[in-house]
Order: sequence, then C-alpha cells, then structure tokens
Amino acid sequence: MLVELRYTLRRYRGQIIGWGLGLTLYSLLMVSMYSDLAKIDFGALLEYYPQEMLAFFGDSFQAISSPHGYMDLYFFGYMTIIVGIFAVSSGAKLIVKDEEDGLMDLVLAYPKSRSEIFWGRVFGYIVTLMLILFISWLSWVLPSGSAGMGLTAGELLRPFWGLLAQLLLFGSFALLLSMIVPASRLASMITSGLLVANYLAIGLSNINQDLQNIVKYTPLHIYQGGYAILGINWDWLLIISMGVLLFLLLAWWRFLYRDVRVAGEGGWKLKDIFSLRK
Amino acid sequence: MNDFAITIEGLEKYYGSFKALHGVNLKVKRGEILGFLGPNGAGKTTTIRCILDHIRPQKGSIKVFGMNPQAKPHVVHQFTGYLPGELRLEDNFRVEQQLRYFSQLRGNQLEWSFVEELAKRLHLDLSRTIKNLSSGNKQKVGIVQALMHKPDLLLLDEPTAGLDPLMQQEVYRLLREAQSAGTTVFFSSHILSEVETLAERVAIIRDGVIIEKSTPNQLTRMAIRRVKISFLEPTDMAFFQAIDGVTGVSSRNGEEVIIQVEGDLDRLIKTLAAHPVKDLETTSHSLEEIFLKYYESDQEEGR
Repeated sequence: MLVELRYTLRRYRGQIIGWGLGLTLYSLLMVSMYSDLAKIDFGALLEYYPQEMLAFFGDSFQAISSPHGYMDLYFFGYMTIIVGIFAVSSGAKLIVKDEEDGLMDLVLAYPKSRSEIFWGRVFGYIVTLMLILFISWLSWVLPSGSAGMGLTAGELLRPFWGLLAQLLLFGSFALLLSMIVPASRLASMITSGLLVANYLAIGLSNINQDLQNIVKYTPLHIYQGGYAILGINWDWLLIISMGVLLFLLLAWWRFLYRDVRVAGEGGWKLKDIFSLRK
Repeated sequence: MNDFAITIEGLEKYYGSFKALHGVNLKVKRGEILGFLGPNGAGKTTTIRCILDHIRPQKGSIKVFGMNPQAKPHVVHQFTGYLPGELRLEDNFRVEQQLRYFSQLRGNQLEWSFVEELAKRLHLDLSRTIKNLSSGNKQKVGIVQALMHKPDLLLLDEPTAGLDPLMQQEVYRLLREAQSAGTTVFFSSHILSEVETLAERVAIIRDGVIIEKSTPNQLTRMAIRRVKISFLEPTDMAFFQAIDGVTGVSSRNGEEVIIQVEGDLDRLIKTLAAHPVKDLETTSHSLEEIFLKYYESDQEEGR
C-alpha cells in the first residue's frame, strides 16, 4: 500500500505545489487586506447593497469585520468550489483514468491486491488534499498576528477540517461514480455539477424559502465555513465523515468485484453498470 | 507436479450481450513457447486478461501452475510477467523511475543489475523520460518489466509490436533464453514469421473458439498445396478430381492444370505417372497463408 501511496503523491507533486502556491498567494493577499477592511464601517455600506445579494451570502456580510466573517466571505465560502473542482476531478481519475489509459491493466498484473492499490491511492489522495490545505493554513497563520486578526493557530485550523471533509465527500462521491458510469470524465462532470448546484442552491435558499426544504438535505448545508473558528460542530463533521467513509467503502467494493476496464469498454445498460464479477 | 503451466477449460466470457469467448479449451505445457494466433477481436486479449483475473469468465476454469488465478491472483502474478497489447506507461516518469516503481510493486526483490543488462541488450536508455520515447522504445520498457523478475510464465500480447527487425531478433533471443531457464512463454502475435520462428506450438482462435492446435510444421504440412502441371497433350480432368486429398482442379485448355492438394502428394504423383507430363511446379504454403485460410473462411461464413 505504501508503494501506491508514494506513487500517488509523486503523481500529485505538481498539483500540491501549484495549488499550494496559488492558495498561499491568495491567502496572503486576503490577510494583508484584513486590517484595512476591518476599519471600514460596513454597516453604512451594506445599506446600499441589494437585499437579495446580501441574503445570497448569508450572515457573512453582516460579520465581515470579524475574523470569522471575513474568512468565511473571502476564503472558506467558495473554497469548496475552487479546491472542490480539483478534489472532484482527482477523485474521478484516481483509479479509473488509469484503466481508461490502459496503465491499470499492467499495474494489476503485479503481485499487489486490488485493495492495496485502491487504499494506497485513496490515502495518497487524502494526503494530497491535506498538504494543499496545510500550505494554505500556514499562509493564514504566519501573517495573521501582524494583520491584527487575533486568532491562534488552533482556531485558524478549525475551519480547514470542515473544508477538508467537504472536499473528501465530493471527491469520494466522484470516485464511486467513476466506478459506475462508463467514463471518469463523466463522473467528474456530474459531481462537479452537483457541487456547483449545491453551492448556488444554498445561496438562493436564503432568498427563496421553498429551497430551504431541499437544501437542508445537502452536504453544503452542514458546512460551517469560517464560522468553525468559533467552534467546530462535531455532529456535522461526523455526518460528513460518515458519508466519506460510506462512499469510499462502496467504491472499494465495486473496484474489488468488477472487471477491469480498458478503453472503450463500459456502457449505459443498467445490467452492464451494475454487473459484478462472480 | 503439474505438467501444464496453463490449463483452460470451457472458458466463456460475455461483454454485455456479446459473447467474446465460446468455450475456450487450451493447455500450455511447462517450459514451452506457444504462439496464440487469431484475427482482431477473436478473443486473444480476452483470454489473456482472464488468465490474469483482470476480467472474470461467466463459465469455465483456468489453472496457472495448478492454481486458480481467481482465488489467488496476486500469487499467480508473483511468478508471471505480462506485456499488454496496448502498453501505457507514466508519461512524466523517467524510464528508470518507471521500472523502479514496477520493481517496488514486486517488493524490490529482483536484481537491478539484470534490469540494466536487459536495457543494455535492447539499447534502452534508462535516463530518458517516457513521454519522449518512440513507441518502439516504450515497447522495450514493457519487455524489460515483463522479464526483469525472471518469471516462470510470460504472457505477452504482441511482444514485438513497434520494434525494428534487429530488436525483434534480440527479443526472440531473450525469450529463447528465458525458455532455456524454464520459463513458459505464451504470446499472441499477428506476425506469422515470428510465430514460425519462435513458437513450438500454435493455437489459432477464431470467434472465441480455439479452432486449431498444432506445431507450425504440422500446420504447414496440413496445408493445401498448389500443383501446376503442364501436359504434352490434353488430359481428362476427371482422373484428378477422384484422387483423395484433391480439393480443386482447374484447367485452361486441358494441357495446363492447377490442382489443389491437401496433405502429401503421393497419390497425385502416382496418378500422374500414367500421363505425359511436360512440367510440374508445386507451391508450398507458409503459415501465413494457412492463417489467412482460416481467416478467410471466417469472413465467408460471416457473409
């Protein structure tokens, strides 16, 4: 399993550096602007904003001068989408892309069980996401003192757990879907669509009350964002973690008992999609 | 000890409603080189992927050195070297990185000096990046990874595809050396001359059924020969049509005749002795023509 974990990390090396660097630059920019923005009287400013727009972003606009409101609005609010697209795309490709390319045909001919291959890659994927978020966390922690945010490293770490859980939830769902639908690209597209739809529905539900009944069953409804700085909602985190575990176990089970694909195989007939090796 | 490296019985495999294998029966002896021939889509790769447990058949059984690959795939993989027909590698790795990764998947238990020796013999530069390699050089990486742990069984899907003739010869030498060391080689190929020179036995698969199992020599002997005879005077063709083994007679003017004969020519020659023959020319068929004969009959049946 360690071989596959190292192999996955080596493959994602460029992504870790690229995403880490990008998020670092963005975080540094946001931290440096905090002290100036905190001085602005947002109460007077917000009176001129359309009520629908304020409602879309929820309570974050009202709490923009506080560290948790600021971080929620400018970072955690939409990192589920920004880093989420990477998490979904990587999750969908984690195993199945190599099948489609034909590399898995060779890798599985080696004396490693499918479980070792699967879990080695999954842990590699989890470590990759953790490293990207760790770099991002560092870029908030190091300058936060001088920016006057007044938060400890531990407090700043809290919202990253919620973000990681959400990324893993959508990523593991994409992984599961990639084992079912005929192509990894399709799994990625469907999951990305669901992620964006969930994000928009959460915002719109603040305007349209009818949507509240739907979004309360969606994952982003129980995402704390920057508000986790004030305290982690462990129940929510547990629910999301259970979801991640469920999707990973189902994907693992599916990988264990199905034929390894090569390019061009797979189809939309239900009996093909759900067929398993006897 | 089991005399067979591979035993396949009644193998059936469906892809959805399409039946790819219709009850394949095949035995590969320990230490032999068996060439697996067949047109595209005949079931060669499907059979190999079933042996490796990448896909599972709906019916039938497979034993590799007496072991069921479905029950213990990674044990079977320990002593198997595999080269896929459509080889894909990690583009951004250097050749050495890629081979070290494969070595790690085998628990780093192989001699790296042997990998270097194989690379040297195949003129493969270990420091180059995979994406910059030609298809022939990528194929060499595939051959090295299949041979590097000195396996007991080699499953090779078109091993010399993309290689130049010199390298093909080197691969044949490597495979013969592996055989001398006790390795069983099971390879599929479209290159008939390759099968003729390398294989001790040949199995031909068509439409998911093994239709012929023989040695290249036996197959050639079984072939239909074409005999062109020039007579000094017009001769009655009915004589020749009645001879055992004659499958076809055609004549332009009764003086020049082309006869197709299956098997040996003994009876034909004896019959000819009663006629004034001016000239006689026989054409022996290569394995390639025999293969085409099977392939053509496949197409004719499909019409």
